[in-house]
Amino acid sequence: MIEIVATAESTEQASLLFDAGVDMVYVGEDLFGLRMPASLPKETIEEITKIAREKNKRVIVAVNAIMHNDRIEKLLPYLQFLEKIGVDAITVGDAGVVHVLKKHGLQLPFIYDAQTMVTSANPINFSVKRGAVSAVAARELTYVELEAIQQKVPVPIEVQVYGATCIYQSKRPLVTNYFNFTEQKRSVSKDDDLFLSEYKNQDEHYSIFEDINGTHIFASTDLNLMPHLDMLYKANIKRWKLDGIFVKGEPFVKIAHLFVQAKQALLEGRWSEEVWKPLNEQLLTHHPKKRPLGTGFFLKDPGDIK
Amino acid sequence: MTRVLKKPELLAPAGTLEKLKMAIHYGADAVYIGGLKYGLRSRAGNFTFEEMEEGLDFARKRNAKVYVAANIVSHEADIEGAGDYFRTLRDIGVDAVIVSDPALIEICASEAPGLPIHLSTQASVTNFEALNFWKEEGLERVVLAREVSMEEIKEIRQKTDIELEAFIHGAMCISYSGRCVLSNHMSFRDANRGGCSQSCRWKYDLFEMPDVDERQSLLGGEPLEAFSMSAVDMSMIRHIPDFIENGVESLKIEGRMKSIHYVSTVANVYRQVIDAYCENPDNFEFKQEWEDELWKVAQRELATGFYYGIPDETQQLFGKQRKIPNYVFIGQVLDYDEDTKIATIQQRNHFSVGDEVEFYGPGFTHSYQTIKEMWDEEGNPIEVANQAMMIVKMKVDVPVKPLDIMRKKKG
Repeated sequence: MIEIVATAESTEQASLLFDAGVDMVYVGEDLFGLRMPASLPKETIEEITKIAREKNKRVIVAVNAIMHNDRIEKLLPYLQFLEKIGVDAITVGDAGVVHVLKKHGLQLPFIYDAQTMVTSANPINFSVKRGAVSAVAARELTYVELEAIQQKVPVPIEVQVYGATCIYQSKRPLVTNYFNFTEQKRSVSKDDDLFLSEYKNQDEHYSIFEDINGTHIFASTDLNLMPHLDMLYKANIKRWKLDGIFVKGEPFVKIAHLFVQAKQALLEGRWSEEVWKPLNEQLLTHHPKKRPLGTGFFLKDPGDIK
Repeated sequence: MTRVLKKPELLAPAGTLEKLKMAIHYGADAVYIGGLKYGLRSRAGNFTFEEMEEGLDFARKRNAKVYVAANIVSHEADIEGAGDYFRTLRDIGVDAVIVSDPALIEICASEAPGLPIHLSTQASVTNFEALNFWKEEGLERVVLAREVSMEEIKEIRQKTDIELEAFIHGAMCISYSGRCVLSNHMSFRDANRGGCSQSCRWKYDLFEMPDVDERQSLLGGEPLEAFSMSAVDMSMIRHIPDFIENGVESLKIEGRMKSIHYVSTVANVYRQVIDAYCENPDNFEFKQEWEDELWKVAQRELATGFYYGIPDETQQLFGKQRKIPNYVFIGQVLDYDEDTKIATIQQRNHFSVGDEVEFYGPGFTHSYQTIKEMWDEEGNPIEVANQAMMIVKMKVDVPVKPLDIMRKKKG
């Protein structure tokens, strides 16, 4: 079995993603979740969960923010709501959330998602012992490390195979601070589509935005592991995430469908260059031109990173 | 009636054995050091087990504690031998380890029972339920994330009883600790395994990209200002009473890479403030000389971080930087003869006859002296002390003590 999980920005998109063959959608609101394509209110999450039930699909809700006291106080009613509507799992990155789940005996499976911190099997096993049903691997891991981790943990690890990857989160409003210092009267929003480049390396550009969780910066290339999915399959890594934060609407659904086709080919033993190459070429037509694609750390040697 | 307050621990960094001794001598109740493994400061002087034992012996005799940081985020290859490592730390008498990776916490708890564990700020603990989680896991103390406000600390204190440690002084990550891998992506150096290349302090362009080959820069300012994420440093010198009133058990100074001059000065100042407040909280008066003293070793502007609100642009290093007057550590007192008023000094940096120098020592003693005459070890008169570690004798009018430090203003 291979499971494809994709972010969803609306009820409509969630429905289309399910129809395109995606197994799970990943949704949430900014108050509790990090870097979602859209901050969805409770009613929308409930609607999406209903659609998932009808279509025999699943819903994961992002509860992976770094919570301060004010958030953790609002958390219990939110979790109770998610339990009541029957979402399939939540992502969690803050130990406080695990504590609240346990203290109140909530029946909500959780996926360990501490972002950059999930870099070896042991923290995953630590969280599994405390109830985690899966874990999201850090994007900074190489294939060699991912393979070793999956062998050592009893739950499926989720590996991102497509989309933007966050490399930085500050609680400070860094874009607002910059505009204030330079006396530019600009309002700042999550949808500004701004980029950074190092003065010394103008070739690379990094997405940056601000929301209620602070300032977020993304890697200079979005991930695309389409040509290498067979490696994941062989390593028994079978939960693949597609992140659509910078690829909205229909193009993202089309890209998801390409990964579903790749999954079918692998499951049916038809994987070959003749299969993935056309899929990859189609992907390039749907993916935004100003966002270069790459393989991130996947193909690197673990020793390349000092 | 005088209120009796619980006096917090003053915790100082110690990059080397010498810094450990000086930090404790200058008033630290505890120091944190790095071992040869699992530390986040691969370039700081890290301690062998033998050096740790010597440091522990020194600390014991002065009723001080030694914590060892093992706060990396581990990858697969990193954790072999961690059980042996923690057992050795426990057996030589280390007072606690500072860890952030749950894997290392678990190994430490199961393989080295009895060794107290402190959760590093790398774990970004920002709420009381996270503290309760770690308390149930058996941890003794949590170092709070630098993003926690004073109001939040107050509430946290009311809702948890695990020990709290908070940063009071030093350089800061501008990101949530551990949630920044700029260095991994920009320099292939792992920020969470001790390789941080400080990409946040570089200069950046900020722009919109209407098309693939079209950039519309949003840089502004006159002269043009680069986008930067560089934070000023933290100093809570004027707010120590807030920590004490809110029951924070340990006040932490950042900087295992910092110099002896820095560590001794900063520890000395905060020792004064903590003691003064706890002795008489109701009649406590802030002394400007404490803050002035900190500026002598400041490397950047100072601010209060997240403690009293979300930091705005004034807490970032924008624009032309003011030049902060710098002081240089030029010598350490080895001996003083009360009768002849002759001090024996070990040279640490260039000085000469005619220089105005300052001596300071533990207990915030300060004195000033113009160097009138100097002699080398053989008693020959000299004009300049220009050899590293050379022994110099000179007349010093106000008595000084061994381990007092001599410095002068630069330039």
